[in-house]
Amino acid sequence: MASVVVAFELAGRPVEVLVSPLATLQQVLRTQLGHTSVKDGCRQGACGSCTVLLDGEPVLSCLLPVADVAGRRVTTLEDLTPADGLTPVQRAFLDANGFQCGYCTPGLELVTKALLDRNPAPSREEIAEALAGNVCRCTGYTPIIAAVEAAADAMRAAVSEEAAR
Amino acid sequence: MTVSSYFQPASVPEAIALLAEHGPELLVIAGGTVAMPLVNEGISLPDKVMGLRRAGLDRMARSGDTLRIGATATLTALTAQPDAPLLAEAARRTAAWAVRNMATVGGNLFTPPPGGDVAVALLALDAQVELAGPGGVRVLPVEAFWTGFMTTALALDELVTGLIVPVREGRHAFVKLGRKAANTPAVVTVAVQATMDGDRVADARIALGAVGPHPLRSRAAEAAVAGRTLTPEVIRDAAEAAASDAEPFSDAVASAWYRRRMTAVMVGRALEQLARVTERGA
Repeated sequence: MASVVVAFELAGRPVEVLVSPLATLQQVLRTQLGHTSVKDGCRQGACGSCTVLLDGEPVLSCLLPVADVAGRRVTTLEDLTPADGLTPVQRAFLDANGFQCGYCTPGLELVTKALLDRNPAPSREEIAEALAGNVCRCTGYTPIIAAVEAAADAMRAAVSEEAAR
Repeated sequence: MTVSSYFQPASVPEAIALLAEHGPELLVIAGGTVAMPLVNEGISLPDKVMGLRRAGLDRMARSGDTLRIGATATLTALTAQPDAPLLAEAARRTAAWAVRNMATVGGNLFTPPPGGDVAVALLALDAQVELAGPGGVRVLPVEAFWTGFMTTALALDELVTGLIVPVREGRHAFVKLGRKAANTPAVVTVAVQATMDGDRVADARIALGAVGPHPLRSRAAEAAVAGRTLTPEVIRDAAEAAASDAEPFSDAVASAWYRRRMTAVMVGRALEQLARVTERGA
């Protein structure tokens, strides 16, 4: 079993990892690169807790051989979180009690970011549809949907404030 | 998860050569949404794996009245396909966003319950499967692709390289029943593609998923609507005929009894939709 070198972009910086063939992106992010927001949930593609963005699109890192992301751009919650403070999405989840145990939160927040990047004013149905692949066993989802709505409102308000300047 | 090699062929000939060289020991994956869970769980313990993401098989192109869909086109790409609205709708109703970004059209032919939701729509469209092997390319009607429960006409040295889908006018309907609204395995999936003659159905293909060893066409239901106006009586007869044609199984999702009952209900709903929609613009 010969190890292989894979190079991709993480957090806007090039990274290079030495991995066993078929190592998943999830394993590499958690164990070699310290991105532990990427959770090790079901490993079946059923829970959404390992979601990352690949060139801005949500994918399940537990099902993705890291060799397949060579040359591509990977985004995790670590990349989005400012050194000091929170993103508007994180702030909204906190304010709306959008999590209890927090295991599903990184995946949900990345899908939320991908959704709001495409659709700054999603309906409740569009939010539910976008989040359908992310399982939360604590909240019952209602506060999560409220958090996404609040994040969308906050981000739109920030954009109009910016425009008014 | 310790495999000796992960191959990433950059072309179809390269992929076929790898398959010929390594034979049935080589696990072929495309989107990975079916195969990788088995590998992660240790249910599948392959020594060698070949991934098709680099093989240039993800293109879609229309030529005349035919749409060719590369086998590794993602379900997300299919949701935006204007030439195959039935496939686009089936793709939208399959799994969840992140899964659709990975899962492929070709892979859907192999997805449990035998044949995924897109595969049911492919059957209703009478699509063809393109298979490539060392001897060249052959094309099979998708109906002839499945040969039994989890068995297909794919030879050990062949790959599914594409789907050839007729661009059809007329009306279509797609109805899926699951245990919840989204991201759920089907209790029963119904896809219908029909050619109309005024208010009458000239001919229709009625495909059923998750109620047999693979997606099935209900010939009895198709016969019940052919040449008829979709009155409540005609719809009821066709729905009962479809339930008789189903070969349902019991599993953790639903019992065979419930699947058969719901086959009638969902075929009825699909035909009611068909009766309501207006002709798609030619």
